[in-house]
Amino acid sequence: MGMKYALTLLVAALASGAAIAQAPPEDEQAQRAERWQQLKQAIFKERSIENGEDILGLEAPPRALDAALVPLTVRTSGAKPVERIYLIIDNNPGPLAGKFTFGEAADPSVLKVRMRVNTYTDIHAVAESEDGKLYSVQKFVKAAGGCSAPAGSNDAKALQDLGQMRLRLPPEVVLGKPVRAQLMIRHPNFNGMQMDQITRHYTPAHFIKTIDVTFEGKSVLNVESDIALSTDPVITFGFIPRTEGKLKVVVNDSKGNRFERSFDVAPSERMSDVR
Amino acid sequence: MNFMKCLLCSLWLLLSFSQSQAENVPEPEGFWSGPVNSAVPDTIRGGKIIHARELSDLIASEDPLLIDVSNMPKRPEGMPADALWLPLPHEAIPGALWIPEVGGATVSGDIDELFASQLAQETAGDLDRPIVIYCHERCWLSWNAAKRAIGYGYRNVHWFPEGIEGWRAAGFETDTVSPRRPPEP
Repeated sequence: MGMKYALTLLVAALASGAAIAQAPPEDEQAQRAERWQQLKQAIFKERSIENGEDILGLEAPPRALDAALVPLTVRTSGAKPVERIYLIIDNNPGPLAGKFTFGEAADPSVLKVRMRVNTYTDIHAVAESEDGKLYSVQKFVKAAGGCSAPAGSNDAKALQDLGQMRLRLPPEVVLGKPVRAQLMIRHPNFNGMQMDQITRHYTPAHFIKTIDVTFEGKSVLNVESDIALSTDPVITFGFIPRTEGKLKVVVNDSKGNRFERSFDVAPSERMSDVR
Repeated sequence: MNFMKCLLCSLWLLLSFSQSQAENVPEPEGFWSGPVNSAVPDTIRGGKIIHARELSDLIASEDPLLIDVSNMPKRPEGMPADALWLPLPHEAIPGALWIPEVGGATVSGDIDELFASQLAQETAGDLDRPIVIYCHERCWLSWNAAKRAIGYGYRNVHWFPEGIEGWRAAGFETDTVSPRRPPEP
């Protein structure tokens, strides 16, 4: 292969990258703004929402390679104590993707989840401060089809190990300091729009409704989730263990199943990866 | 030589992160039964591929029958009654008929019949009438539906793989439409 050909390819690749980065047309921006007005009214009624750039940040890929697994990260700056984060995927049919309420043992500085995105959309992260004010930031994400993407090769396989959980802690855990935990839950989180790969029938919706995390009885995180949460959810959150103890996770799903698991948390010299 | 390898490798990375055309997907023998939203081929046996600008020209010159086979969102069972369910109005290429459910790998006899009769009615039985079938980018529903139409004997079937996203990205207008038939319960 000649050098010239390779360079031509390089130019073509860069050009297509440039096309992707093009700003959306004005009417599309107007449509997106109108949609957000509609959702704000539906979710927050008359409450006013301020620009939240000093309070929180939202990280999302501009173009997601897998629309069924779009990683979203919300960071709070600490400029204002945040009690709750709302994640809103504007153009999903069920736009309110999750409500995350922090408790007294929480470290709200980082929250990571993976969501389904149905079409090109703005994603809003809205923080509710402890004094009841609302602050929002947003990102535009190009992804399409995540809501109808199948969860697994077929229903029976996707339901294996339903409700099993794992918790990953960092190598270093210091009592009294924030610890970042990664919680993994086995759950297909069927949204009712997916087709079984073998039977070709729609799989009935079956999804996680709440996740409650406590440490030694103190609340860390309460998640009210919905069909937008990806298959086998992975949630990263922070908490502050004042003592050694147990982190308890309770998951409730739309079919009335309840899953519970406790994980030991102790200073790092005695543990690394809890399974 | 090493420099060349390195250059090619970074090219490969760049290209694989750009559009799906670079992925070189072969056509399946029958209908596609894998993940609906995944890389698609750039061919369809018995039919033609069309891109946004050519499609706009075709619409202006030949009045093709435009068929959108995108899925229709359904409120999931078990969702609390007060949970927000607010699907976007469905945006389609102006003049398109939205016929959901006809792009599966297998469809029920009813749906097969419905699709065949809708096409027969809209084309007035003219097997040479241009037909354009699309849904979304990286979506096999329209590939399957186009293959189905080709199987009914239509000789001028175009598949528009970039879908509504590609149409809008090329700067063309859309219209809000309702489906021709409600989805199965």
